[in-house]
Amino acid sequence: MAVHDMSASTAQTTFPVSALARRGGLKAGERRIGWLFLLPAVAAFVLVIAVPFLRALGYAFTRYDLQTPEPVFIGLGNFRALAASPEVLGSFVTTLLYVVLATGFTVILGLAWAIVLNQTFRGRAALRAMSLLPWVLPSTVCAFVWGWIFNSRFGLLNAVLLDLGLIPFPTAWLSTTSGAMSAIVVTKVWLSIPLYMSFFLAGLQGLDREQIDAARVDGAGNLAILRDHVLPHLRPVLLVVVVLGVIGNLQQFDTIFALTGGGPVRATTVLSIEVYRRAFDQWDVGMAAAIGLLWVATILPAAYLYLRHLLKGV
Amino acid sequence: MLDLSAPLARGIFLLVLAVIGLFLFFPIYWLAISALKGNAELYRIDPTFYPHALSWEHFATAFGRGKLLLHLQNSLVVSGSAAALNTALAMYAGYSFAKFRFAGRRPVMLMLLSAQVFPFGLLLISLYPIMSSLGLLDTRPGLVIASIVFALPVSTYMLYSYFSQVPDELIEAARADGAGELRIFHTIVLPVSIPALVTVFLYGFMWSWNDLLYAMTLIVSEDKRTVGPGLLLSYLNETNADWGGAMAASLVASLPVVVAFAILQRWFIQGVTAGAVK
Repeated sequence: MAVHDMSASTAQTTFPVSALARRGGLKAGERRIGWLFLLPAVAAFVLVIAVPFLRALGYAFTRYDLQTPEPVFIGLGNFRALAASPEVLGSFVTTLLYVVLATGFTVILGLAWAIVLNQTFRGRAALRAMSLLPWVLPSTVCAFVWGWIFNSRFGLLNAVLLDLGLIPFPTAWLSTTSGAMSAIVVTKVWLSIPLYMSFFLAGLQGLDREQIDAARVDGAGNLAILRDHVLPHLRPVLLVVVVLGVIGNLQQFDTIFALTGGGPVRATTVLSIEVYRRAFDQWDVGMAAAIGLLWVATILPAAYLYLRHLLKGV
Repeated sequence: MLDLSAPLARGIFLLVLAVIGLFLFFPIYWLAISALKGNAELYRIDPTFYPHALSWEHFATAFGRGKLLLHLQNSLVVSGSAAALNTALAMYAGYSFAKFRFAGRRPVMLMLLSAQVFPFGLLLISLYPIMSSLGLLDTRPGLVIASIVFALPVSTYMLYSYFSQVPDELIEAARADGAGELRIFHTIVLPVSIPALVTVFLYGFMWSWNDLLYAMTLIVSEDKRTVGPGLLLSYLNETNADWGGAMAASLVASLPVVVAFAILQRWFIQGVTAGAVK
C-alpha cells in the first residue's frame, strides 16, 4: 500500500495529470475528457442540424405535399420538374443578382467607412460605437425603417427625389421590379455595413505605421498609400468578408420577406423565399427540399473557403 | 494613416464621412422622429425633418394595439434561454477544441463549423415535422432549441479562440493540485473568461431576438409569439398601414438589444472578428 501510495504521489508531482487521465494513460484520458466536453454541442448539432439536413436530403427525392401526406420515393422526379421550371431558374438569377449587388456595395461602403474611422479625429470612438446600430436592430425593424422610406405615398425617398426634380411624380418603388430589388439590396447593405466595417477595422489594426511613414517620406500620396500598402494588407480580411458576405446574403430571408414578401409577382423571390413559400405556403415539402439542396450547392464553394481559413493551424 | 492636410484630401474625406454617415444614421433618426410625430404631421407629401409637435400617441397605440408587451416578454424569455443554452454548449465545446488533443477533434470541429453551410430555411423544412413529432411545435422550448442553429458554430469558434489564449500553466498548476478537469474548467477557466462568455451570450441573444423566420414558423399562437413576427403581423398591411405605430413599436422592440450593445460593444467586436483576422 505504502509503495503504491508513494508511486502515485510521485506520478502526480512529476506528471501533473488529472484523475481521469491517470486511468489508461494520458492519451486515453485526454480523449475521454475531450469528448465529454464536446458531447452537449455534438448532441445539439445532431438534433437541430445533422438530422434535419439528412431528412431534408431524403425529402428531396420524394413526393411529399398536401395530397401526399406521407413521403413517397420518386427518385429524381423533383429535380426533373425543377429543371423544366422557368420560375426556379428565375429564383437562381434573382438570388445571384441580390448576392452580387448586396455583397459588392457592402464591401465598398464598409471598407470606405472603416478607412474613415481608422483616421484619428474627435468623436471617433462614439461614431464607431454608433455605427453598429443598424446591425443590432431586429430584422423586422430594418424592414419597417426602409419600407417607410420607400413608401409610395409618404416616403422620404419620393419626397427628396421630387424636391430635387429627379422624378416627375411619386413612384411606388416596392411595386416595380427594379424598385423592389433596390429596396431589399439597400436594406441589406445598410444593416451589413457595421459588421463588414468591424472586420476591416480589425484588419487595419495590424497595419505597419512605420512602413507608411517611410512611404510618406519617399513622397507617396494618399492614393498611393491606399493602393500600395492598405489594400494589399487587407487582402486576407477582404477574402473573409466577401466569403462571409456571400454566405450570409445567399441565406438572407427576414428583411426580404418583411419588405416585399418576394414580390411584386416574383421579382424579389430569392431562393430562401422560394423554399419557404414552397414548404410553408404550398406545403410541397419534396419540391422545397429539392430546391434547398441546390441552394446548399451554391453555398458550398464559399463555405469551403471560409472553413479552410478558420481551420488554418487548428 | 491618411494625410489630410491638403484641402482636396480633407474635402474628399469629409464628403465620404458625410455620405456614408448620412446613409447609416439618417434612417435611424427618421425612425425615431416618425414615431414622435402626430398623424397629421406624419402623413404629408412634404415631410418635416424634425417633429414640429411632439406626440406620444403612437407609443400609446403601440402598447394598446396587439400584444407588444406580451411579445416583448416572450422574446425576452426565448432569447434569454436560447442565449444561455448556446453559451453553455459553445463553452464546453470551445474548451475541448482549445485545450485537448485527441483523435477526431479536427473532423468534429469542421463538422460543427460547417453548420453555416446549411441554409436555415432548408433545415426548417424538416425541423418543423421533428418539432411536431416531439410535441415541441408552437412551444417556446421548441423555438429555443431550434435557435441553436443560428449562433452555435460562430460562438464555439469565438470561445475556442479565447480559451486558446488561456495559459496552459494555469491549468497545469491546478492539475498538479489534483483538481479534476471539470472543476478546473468551472472554477479556474470560466472566471477568467467572463468577457468572452458575455460576448457569446450577447451574440446568441441578438440572433434569437432578431430572427423572424423560425419565430414565425415554429410559433403560431398569438400568445406565445415573439416580437419580430409580432411586429410584422400587427403592422404589415400596405393599404392601411399604421406607420406611426410601427415606428413606435420598432423603437420599443429595438431598445433591449441596443442598450445591451451600448454597454458591451467593445468586447463584442473583438469577439466576433476573432479568427477572421489572422
